[in-house]
Formats: sequence, C-alpha cells, structure tokens
Amino acid sequence: MFYRLSGVHHANYVSDSRIFKVPADRNLAVFVLLFGLAAPFIVPSLYLNSYMLPWLIWTAAALGLNLVTGWAGQLHLGYAAVMAVGAYASIHAARFGIPWEFALIIGGLASSVIGSLFAFAALRVKGLYLALTTLAMQFVMDWVLTHSPAITGGSHASLQSPTLALLGQDITSDTGYYYVAFGWCVLVTIFMLNLKRTGLGRALVAVREKDFAAAILGVNSFYYKILAFATSSFIAGVSGALLVATFFFLAAPEQFSVAVSIQVLAMVIVGGLGSIIGSYMGVALILLVPGIVNGLVSGSSQSLGMQINVETLAHIPNAVYGALIVIILLIEPLGLGKLYGNIRDYLMVWPFDQLRK
Amino acid sequence: MTLKKHITAVALTTALAATATVASAQSEEPIQFGLCFDLSKSYTFVTPQVAQAAQDLAMYVNDNGGIEGHPIEIIVRDHGNEPQRGVECYEQLKRDGVFIFNFMSTPVTNAVLPRAMNDENILMQSFVGRGDAVDGEVFEWVFPVGPTYWQQAANDVAFIKEQLDGDLSDAKIGFIYLDYPFGQEPIEILRTLSEREGFELELYPVPLPGSDQSGAWSSIRRDQPDYVISWLLASGHVVASKEMRRNRFPIDRYIAVNWFNEVDIANIGAEEATGILRGTNVAGGQEVPLVRLMLDTYYADGNGSGPESLVRDVYYNTGLAMYSTAFEAARIAVAEDGWPLTPESMKNAYESLSGFDGDGVMAPVTVTPEDHGGGGKTRIEQWDGEAWVPLTDWSADYLDIVWEVIKESSESFSVE
Repeated sequence: MFYRLSGVHHANYVSDSRIFKVPADRNLAVFVLLFGLAAPFIVPSLYLNSYMLPWLIWTAAALGLNLVTGWAGQLHLGYAAVMAVGAYASIHAARFGIPWEFALIIGGLASSVIGSLFAFAALRVKGLYLALTTLAMQFVMDWVLTHSPAITGGSHASLQSPTLALLGQDITSDTGYYYVAFGWCVLVTIFMLNLKRTGLGRALVAVREKDFAAAILGVNSFYYKILAFATSSFIAGVSGALLVATFFFLAAPEQFSVAVSIQVLAMVIVGGLGSIIGSYMGVALILLVPGIVNGLVSGSSQSLGMQINVETLAHIPNAVYGALIVIILLIEPLGLGKLYGNIRDYLMVWPFDQLRK
Repeated sequence: MTLKKHITAVALTTALAATATVASAQSEEPIQFGLCFDLSKSYTFVTPQVAQAAQDLAMYVNDNGGIEGHPIEIIVRDHGNEPQRGVECYEQLKRDGVFIFNFMSTPVTNAVLPRAMNDENILMQSFVGRGDAVDGEVFEWVFPVGPTYWQQAANDVAFIKEQLDGDLSDAKIGFIYLDYPFGQEPIEILRTLSEREGFELELYPVPLPGSDQSGAWSSIRRDQPDYVISWLLASGHVVASKEMRRNRFPIDRYIAVNWFNEVDIANIGAEEATGILRGTNVAGGQEVPLVRLMLDTYYADGNGSGPESLVRDVYYNTGLAMYSTAFEAARIAVAEDGWPLTPESMKNAYESLSGFDGDGVMAPVTVTPEDHGGGGKTRIEQWDGEAWVPLTDWSADYLDIVWEVIKESSESFSVE
C-alpha cells in the first residue's frame, strides 16, 4: 500500500542495480531533496543556521567515516584529526589568495595524503590495534596543532577563515551557507549511494567481511584499504573546511579534538554501519538531541516554576540523552538505519504480509 | 441616561487601566543577560559559582528597584563546552532579544566571537577567549574586563622583582604550564621580560590534564629557580603541591594563576598549603562587602540562588566582579542614554567605567574605547592557613611590553 510493488520487475542487470529499486524510495528521496532545497524559505532561520547547517556538514563527514568504517570495516579513531588537516590546509590556501573552489580541493587532497600516510603505517595491523594506531594519529595531530603557531594562527590558536566565495560569488548570508552545506552533503550522498553499485564498493565489502578471503578472490585488500582511507579522508578534509568556512568562521584546535573523533564514530555507530540514511539519523541524534533535550528540560522546568539548581538542570539532559542512546542500541544494535529498515520492511507489502500470520 | 453614563465610565476605566498596564509593562521590560555556560563538562569547576553570583546579584538589584525600574533577567543555559551548542545557544538567545552574552569557555567563545562581532552584540569574556580582545579598537564588542594572562604573568614578574630587591639580573624564574594554548600563552611575554630584566627563564611543560608532573619537578629541583610561576588548572595545583613537598621546593615560592580556589586549598590541606601564592584580580574571602551583603541578605535565611557552600569560594567573588561591572554598565547606559538599552549604549557605558571596583570585590577597572580590559591590575595574595592575605596593592606593570604583544596579535584579526 505504501510501497507499490506491483509492476516492479527487474528483468536485467541494469535495472536490478538501480539505486532505488522501489519507486516509493525514489519518491521519498526526491521529496527530501525538494524539502532541502526549499528549507531556507520554510524553516525559521534559527533552525536553518544552527541546526540544519551543522547537521548537513556533519552528515557529510559521518558518511566519509562510514565509508572507511562501515564499508571497508576499518575502525578509525582519528577522524577529527583528518578533518583538521583539511580545514587548516584550505583556510591557509584561501588566506594565501587561492580561490575557495581550489582551496577546498587542496584541503581535501592534503587530508587524503596525510590520512593515507597514516593508513600505510596503520594497515599493518587490524581491529583494535588499528583503532589504537588511529587514536595515536589523533594525538599526534593535536600535539602538532597546539605546538605550531604558524599553522594554528598565533598564541591564541585561532585562525580566521576568509569570506567564502564560490563561482565568483561572495557567500555571506545564512541561506548561502546553507546551500553550500546542502550541496556538499548531496554530493557525498550521491557518491555513497553509487558506491554500493560499483566494483569498488563490492571490493570494500569483500575486504570488510574477510580480507584474506578477498585476497584469494583476487581483491588486493591492502590497495583497497588505502583507497578507502584516502577517499574518506578527502571527504573529511572538505567537510572540515566547510564546517569552518560556513559555521565557525574561525578554526581552533578544540574543534577537532579527540572528543570530536569519538563523537563522529558514535554518529556512525548509532546511525548504523554501512547505512546512508542511518548516518543522517545518527548525526541528528548525537549532534542535535543534546541541545534540543536541554531546551525542553529548561523550558519545562521554567513553565512548571520549579526551582532547580542550574547545575542539576544541565545534567538532566545528559542523563536523558545517554539513556536514549542505550535504549536505541538495545532495541536495535545495528543502529537507527536498521530501525528505519525494519519499519520499511514491515510496511513493504502491508497489510498482506500481516494477514498471512 | 444613567445606563449610558455607566457604560461610558466603565469604558473609560477600562481604557485607563489598559494604558496603565501598557505603561507599567514598558517600565518593567527586563534587561536580559545570556549566560551560555559549560555546566556539565570541563568548566564546571567555576561556572556554577559564577552563575549563582550573577543570579544573586540580579535578585538583589531587582529587590531594590532594578536598573532604573527595569528588572534584570539572568538566562542560564548549558552548552557542554561544545562549540556547536554554544553557537546554537547564541543564535537562540539572540532571537529572544538578548544582546549581552557570556560563554565562560575558550573554545565556545572563540567559535561565537565572529558572529557576535558581526551582529554587534556585547560579548563578556573575562578570563576566557583570546587575550588580545582587550584591544577595544579591534574587538569593539568584546569586553574581557580583568587582566589578560599576559598582563597577569607580567605582574607576577614585577612582584618577584620587588621581592628580590628590585634586581632580576641574576634571578632564575621557572614557568610550569599545561602544554596547550592556555598554558602556552604567557611564554612570549615572559621571554620578552627575561630579555629586558636579564633573568633566566626555565620552561616546564606539563602534559594535559596535569596529573603527571614528576618530570617537571625533578628538573625544577635540579635548576633551583628562585620562583615558580604556575599556569595549571584546579587539581594541577594539588599535584604540584605534592611534588613541591617531595622535591623540597618551598611552597611560598610558588605563584599560582588566578584559577586556584578554596576547593583546591582543601584538597591540598589548609595547613599544608600555608604560604602558597596566587595572582588574582578579585578579592577572595567572605569579608568583601558584596559577598557579606549576599550572605546577610539571602543566605542567612536560606533564600540564596543555590547552596551556600558555593558562596564560600573565590569564583563566586569572580562572578560578582564580572556581573557587578556589567550591571553598573547597564545602569550607566540607561541613565545616560535612556530606555531602551541597546548594544550601542551598553558599549558606550562600559567604555565610560572609571575606577569601578564593585565595592572592593576586585581591582579597580577603568575601561576605555582602547582598553576593554580595564587596566589589567592584579595583586599577589598568600594563604596563611585560614585566609588569603594580600601581599601587594592592585597594580599593573610592564604595560608597554604587554600592549606591544596585544597589538601585534590583534592586528591580524579583521571582521569579514
């Protein structure tokens, strides 16, 4: 009923490897895309610039991490460090006078190079050892940033980003920033959607499932792991640069600290490894829910006229938020993406499937 | 006829009442202060005290007629030290009509600074954020009233010079610091001062979070500096005191940064800490008139905005210092430029503060359009086992060197 499957036949490989095999999915995607395009005109500016914009940029970043962790199966605890490389490289490039289009690409490439350099060293080990090696990368990056004023911009360690300008157009309005973030997120999403259908995507999945089995099948697992790291680092670099250019307006090392790395990993895990829609949901949960719950709690305590200590008031949302993550992962260990998938599967041939039981 | 009269009378009264309500509502329009604080992560050692001080002081002002009849409203929100949530808090309160903000966190202040500068909203940032923001010609909307870390370090050196009979030429000063921007900030100024005064400067970096200092103190034992200036936070001082005892370094040669409170003293042990020094711009203890006033007016019968234990903490005094300055500025603004209070009038009022010391709660500040820090005066206090005893008067030294560094740093900032 919700997903009309009648008349949907896949008689050849091309049709079977479509991105959206069911028209309803495509329609939903188109609807979301249109909503995203129209958002600046229908969403109040507060929600646009302090909720939706960071959400989209972080989603792009989380999708990049999902590529290396969800698809290629390599645990990465230094993702924020890679974002920092991109952010600082692009801002320095832009400050140097290079147009932003190229500055962003330079940032992405710089991240790619440093990210894969680390991967070279890191890929001699697997699993938890890889996690620790990437964590070490994060600490190395933190140290380099706090000890090189030339990179981070003087003793205050804050580097201003020049005004963003794309295609000869200065971008200074909330709407402009939003569209930049939206465009980048859509680009990354399209890339990830297509990844599933390509040889690269299948090779990555093979490597994830069992790297030596993949090697027996003729998939060079080392090469594909490096490729996964390089690609995800590129996405991280550009996302980091855009985060600074459209949201923070200046880069500081704390914006890319180890806590942020863990946060991005949490976004990917709560959202669901290897799930695209899950990444969107995971980012929303980790990034936005603390603020929203905080607003709700302080609002309700105010309207109820309760005299709660400010400190207690600040800790209640944290407890609620923590409990929310635990509950979600208990209900569905595969994350929010799978939760959505379950609902979709349930409704797929509703109500006929249910009648049979 | 009588009915008609009656109706007219009712209508008139209603109309009059309505006008009266409007008038009173107008005079009661509140002055809002946005406190987006980190109440749940890294800055919790100071934010509850500051928030409570702001609420108490606002309560006192409101009970005594408000600011020219306008009540003060303190809005406290948590941002968990996450820049993203700080921006969200700023954007939200901005839309609620707040234009005086305080974030009490360096990462969040840094993230919000470009927005506040662009929107021309007042940003209070005493003790946090970039030090060069005292340069009022560049950072027009930022008011870091109080000393910068540069000025504080310079004042510490001036104190040492005084103790060593005015000659630093063969002195040795150690600097122990957390090895990240907060701790690294004073290094440049100390290097410049060491060149001018001829003392030897030894640096002892300590990795975050400051719980392992054994290496640094072994070097200090070897180098035997005359004084050690310390840029550590909270428990870092407790660890340092243990190491001082282990390495036989006299505790009365240890000058702590202003982030050193009663909780840390209790953790060291009140007796054990006797002699330790602290540089500060805020008078500690409960005998300060404003603190006494709060204790007598509200806490004596349990009506304070929070637990009394938080009042007996120097960070409460710090909060009173910040907000008495802000309220005074608001008062001047409304008195001079009238209602409504605007960011512009608030800024002008801030810049006209002269010799204001919150009835002795802090060093007198004179804010000017050039100097938003208010002069950067501090003093050195010593713990005598029961209370902090001031050893010097409020003063600011080496202003030329400090301002050179401020100017050099601030000139690279521009609003885009």
